[in-house]
Amino acid sequence: MSTPGDGIPVQDTAFVSEQKRRAAEGGLNLKPSSRMPAPGSPEPRRAVGAAPAARIEDAVFSCRDVSVLYADKPGLSNVSIDIARQQVLAVIGPSGCGKSTFLRCLNRMNDTIAGARVTGSILLEGRDILGKEQDVAQLRAQVGMVFQKPNPFPKSIFENVAYGPRIHGLARGSADLDDIVCASLRRAGLWNEVKDRLSRPGTSLSGGQQQRLCIARTIAVQPEVILMDEPCSALDPVATARIEDLIDELRASYTIVIVTHSMQQAARVSQRTAYFHLGELIEVGETNRVFTNPRQKLTEDYISGRFG
Amino acid sequence: MTRRRQVRKLGNAVALGLSLLATLIGLACLGAILWTLVARGISGLSVQLFTQMTPPPGGTGGLLNAIYGSLVMSVLGMFIGAPIGILAGTYLAEYGRDARLSSVIRFVNDVLLSAPSIIVGLFVYEVLVVRMGHFSAIAGAVALAIIAIPVMVRTTEDMLRLVPQGMKDASTALGAYPWRTITSIVYPAARSGIVTGLLLAVARVSGETAPLLFTALNNQFWSKDLNAPMANLPVVIFQFALSPYKDWQQLAWSGALLITLAILLLSVIARLIISALPGGRSQ
Ligand SMILES: Nc1ncnc2c1ncn2[C@@H]1O[C@H](COP(=O)(O)OP(=O)(O)OP(=O)(O)O)[C@@H](O)[C@H]1O
Ligand SMILES: [Mg+2]
Repeated sequence: MSTPGDGIPVQDTAFVSEQKRRAAEGGLNLKPSSRMPAPGSPEPRRAVGAAPAARIEDAVFSCRDVSVLYADKPGLSNVSIDIARQQVLAVIGPSGCGKSTFLRCLNRMNDTIAGARVTGSILLEGRDILGKEQDVAQLRAQVGMVFQKPNPFPKSIFENVAYGPRIHGLARGSADLDDIVCASLRRAGLWNEVKDRLSRPGTSLSGGQQQRLCIARTIAVQPEVILMDEPCSALDPVATARIEDLIDELRASYTIVIVTHSMQQAARVSQRTAYFHLGELIEVGETNRVFTNPRQKLTEDYISGRFG
Repeated sequence: MTRRRQVRKLGNAVALGLSLLATLIGLACLGAILWTLVARGISGLSVQLFTQMTPPPGGTGGLLNAIYGSLVMSVLGMFIGAPIGILAGTYLAEYGRDARLSSVIRFVNDVLLSAPSIIVGLFVYEVLVVRMGHFSAIAGAVALAIIAIPVMVRTTEDMLRLVPQGMKDASTALGAYPWRTITSIVYPAARSGIVTGLLLAVARVSGETAPLLFTALNNQFWSKDLNAPMANLPVVIFQFALSPYKDWQQLAWSGALLITLAILLLSVIARLIISALPGGRSQ
């Protein structure tokens, strides 16, 4: 594990070593473990004319050499990336490239998958979250997650939102809990639609409303970061547009990482975009720049393939 | 070509005929059993059945003490068996889903599920009755619990697995520890399924004779003492049916009808609940 700060993250760099490119194009048959530098040995990947890394000052997350093995099958290989505060980072890439795997590293949901092993270092506000000392419940309160399929609990709308605050004991008394629920539903842009039927089951809402309920439920825990894994892929265009607007509003208060298959969506909602390919981070940079002027051939192929 | 098709058609018709026949034989047996039960039992159905004790030979009486004993021991057995079965099922479905221990437990549980109940009776006889020195309702309840546990383990695991993973993940991602997720999300979501499992286990347990024969035995009198032998429908039916006395035989038939109706009712309720479940499946 590298100490924080000594690694050069793949930030806005044009550089991908030949080895990495071949690995990416040729089906990634390199074992990630063999690619990890032995302690003390110089890492070849960094040596070859790397452009000075545009490391992000005051990053919320800073990941270095994060790899994930699923029962010895690589899911993510040596990803180093910084995630900027109160911005939206879009994560794009072909199916199976490790987007969800990467997202699940950030709130340690990979812990729940039998056989999954995460190595490297992930700092959240300078604190290593992969260590044993990290309380995962507290981490997940700080880093919320919204899933692909809206998954409200089989409880009332109110109880869905109140669930998180109850777990973490955030409310002092029931009036306080009411306030938290109300504020969260407002922020998620759902209040006006549900204020008269808070005791109806969460599942009685439409798909788009359910997804906003899930966002409200996440916000209610007062997280710092919200992870979204294809939050709109089960929704129609109108509901999608509402969620996208919501993401844009939420950016003022939260750091958001969104996985999406829609490049239009990535372009619309994000400030920075990361492109993953076969478990590797190929390129990350300002969204505009990545879409108009990708520095990597793989990125360009992916983007143009979809656009053209 | 046409010949082959004809052969295939013929094969299909034969298979269809055979399976129809098998179904009819099965249904006919069931029908005959039910018919005999109703025909012989119904004449003995009266208020007396529920208000009087089992009579001495030649006398008149009812089945009150046996009905009471069956209820007490079934309920007590479920009180012992249900928590163990539900918690074990929870372990299999949630905590130890992929653990090697779990596949061992599942295998052993399946063995227990199909073990002849007389073996359970013998086991409890050895472990409890012999040590306590006498038959007792407690020993009967323990035997019934041992029969209920594998049923509960199985249904609980199946029902908990029906709860969508996305819901559990959502709870986990909000920072809930597994136990919190299980009690606040999974159990409520699987509630009707677990209740169904309970009902099925009660239905299974309430007709068992062999384990009670070795444990609670029987009691001609009204007894509330859990530490003493206790009357119960299956054993009373067993003893009365084998007796030479007409009155006793009649009571046995009526008792059999009662148990059958009760089990039927439980199963119907269980089925109704199951079909009302999302994705309602039948067992
Ligand atoms: N639970 C798991 N067990 C084993 N392998 C897994 C598991 N989850 C993901 N993988 C593997 O890890 C790799 C990355 O998967 P991941 O789900 O992160 O991809 P993704 O980019 O999110 O794909 P998609 O766009 O289809 O959601 C894939 O090869 C996948 O097969
Ligand atoms: Mg995914």
